[in-house]
Amino acid sequence: MKRTEGMGNKRVRPSKAGLFLAGRLFLGGILIYAGIGKITASSLFAEVVYNYQILPNALVNLTALVLPWIEMVLGILLIGGIWLPGAVLLTNILLLTFSGILVFNFSRGLNISCGCFSNEPSTDPISLWTVMRDVSFLIPAFYLLFAKRTETSSGE
Amino acid sequence: MMEPLRLIHNWRQALWQIPVVIIVAVILALSINGFRQTPLPLVGDWSAAARMTTVSGEYLDISIGDAARLFREKAAVFMDARSAADYSKGHIQGALNLPWQEVDQLFLTVMAELPPDTPIVTYCDGETCSLSHDLAIFLRDMGYVNVKVLVNGWTVWKEADLPVDEKNMVPG
Repeated sequence: MKRTEGMGNKRVRPSKAGLFLAGRLFLGGILIYAGIGKITASSLFAEVVYNYQILPNALVNLTALVLPWIEMVLGILLIGGIWLPGAVLLTNILLLTFSGILVFNFSRGLNISCGCFSNEPSTDPISLWTVMRDVSFLIPAFYLLFAKRTETSSGE
Repeated sequence: MMEPLRLIHNWRQALWQIPVVIIVAVILALSINGFRQTPLPLVGDWSAAARMTTVSGEYLDISIGDAARLFREKAAVFMDARSAADYSKGHIQGALNLPWQEVDQLFLTVMAELPPDTPIVTYCDGETCSLSHDLAIFLRDMGYVNVKVLVNGWTVWKEADLPVDEKNMVPG
């Protein structure tokens, strides 16, 4: 593929920094949004966690309580550009886990709510769409993890 | 900045940051939950019996035997809480379809002719399927006092060889 003449060496550096920032803000926003709903209605979210039938019953409530706060803290760290190595890596681990569980439950045809952004069983049943949506969040997450950063490491 | 260019190369930092994030989340979760008016118990009772009990302590579930008797006597309306697609593949004979996913839109249409004291049996499919349970609670909240849940209904109904409507026999 031929490069456009004149653009030559002057690759626009700030766009990469912009992309990195956009990825952080996007994922951070998603995580905070996802976390808030679950924090405000933790008993409903516990129901969602139970329905997934992944965890032993004894761990259901604890997970329902702590998981949204992990999302919240990660969201804040991503947006603030704080502790990025840990925040980005944990975000990736979290999203990979969610995607794996969704695919698992989707493939065994469990008739349950995704509970990804809403605790209302009526609004968000697991479907190909919710699976794809979760998997698609991995794109910016991977990008943040593997992108070469041209700007300084902490956000400004 | 002395840090390597890629975040992935800073795994040493991630190694301590991740546990700290989790600890902070646990502390926040437990303290905020503690301040709630009704804190979520840290270990919940998720036994089938507890889940099928209403706030007032009433059992919601109905045995397949009782359900079959109601069916034979035409004494109850069966309500399929699954999606229209699942319903059309097969359902308990004569059951109405009120997909929990669309209950807001369909409630009035489906329930129009049913007086509040109609005995209703909701069901979906799978031991852990919560649609029927959610629908039952909802119907009770809407004033239907005789609602029961047939847990894992579609499966146990077929296993008991009770009458079903199979594909392409969807009533209007």
